[in-house]
Amino acid sequence: MRRRARRIRRAVASLAVALFATAFLIVYVQLASGHDPALVANAAKRHAATTSTTSTEATSTSATEASTAAESSSGSEESSSGASAVTTSQS
Amino acid sequence: MHTIALNPLATAVGPHLFWITSRAAGIAALLLASLSVCIGLLMGGRILKAHRPDLRVAHEALSLATLAALVVHGLTLLGDGYLHPSLADVAIPFLSGYKTFWTSLGIVAFWTLLVLGLSYYARNRIGVQRWRKLHRFAALAWVLGLAHSLGEGTDAGQAWFLAMVAIVAVPALALLLARLQRSNTTSAPVSRSVDPAPAARPSVAR
Repeated sequence: MRRRARRIRRAVASLAVALFATAFLIVYVQLASGHDPALVANAAKRHAATTSTTSTEATSTSATEASTAAESSSGSEESSSGASAVTTSQS
Repeated sequence: MHTIALNPLATAVGPHLFWITSRAAGIAALLLASLSVCIGLLMGGRILKAHRPDLRVAHEALSLATLAALVVHGLTLLGDGYLHPSLADVAIPFLSGYKTFWTSLGIVAFWTLLVLGLSYYARNRIGVQRWRKLHRFAALAWVLGLAHSLGEGTDAGQAWFLAMVAIVAVPALALLLARLQRSNTTSAPVSRSVDPAPAARPSVAR
């Protein structure tokens, strides 16, 4: 009976070690091959953040360019109307 | 000439060894606990009458292996360079800032399993009947652990993890539900017989 109990305990210990080793191996391979769910999710989040930042930058750049173009085209008008505006405010 | 296509997400494993160990220990603990719950319910429900002493030894060994795996799961997390949890973070519920609810669920499950598991060795002091009633809460702690792993586990969405867990957790859940249903149907007449009509109660002089 005691020998039988010892055999069962040994079998359970082996099972525990086997389960741990299998899980460790799967997670290890997953991580090393770049398929880890946490890292993939992080990378996706980072990629989404970078994309949105880039698109925001692109939008602001094009807006700046457009305003610069508008400024240069109405430059002469501004210089002439600028004086009148100052005159108006002073009066 | 061979060309090797490298995955840009392939990672150096060295810095993550503590994290991998913790995850593997958590998975092993869940599987061992599920097996232990299965055997416990089979014994308690008197479904398997043969080989009872063997089942008891297996149940005890599986429970101890679960507790050992849970200790490894918690302690190896202390070495993780990303989370940097303190001992209090992994031992006291509602203290960790990382997914507080799910982490706390796991911590509560661990302490419940530890106390209820080790109380087996003090069952003569506690009283066997009282200990048996208390020991039923171990199944509840296992359910909490299952919820913790599915709610917070990094691999919870992975097919291999779900398959591994389903193989052992689904039978345990089915046995638990069957046990609860049976105890519900048998508890009604028992409670009537335990609590007799006031007229039938013997008067006790105080």
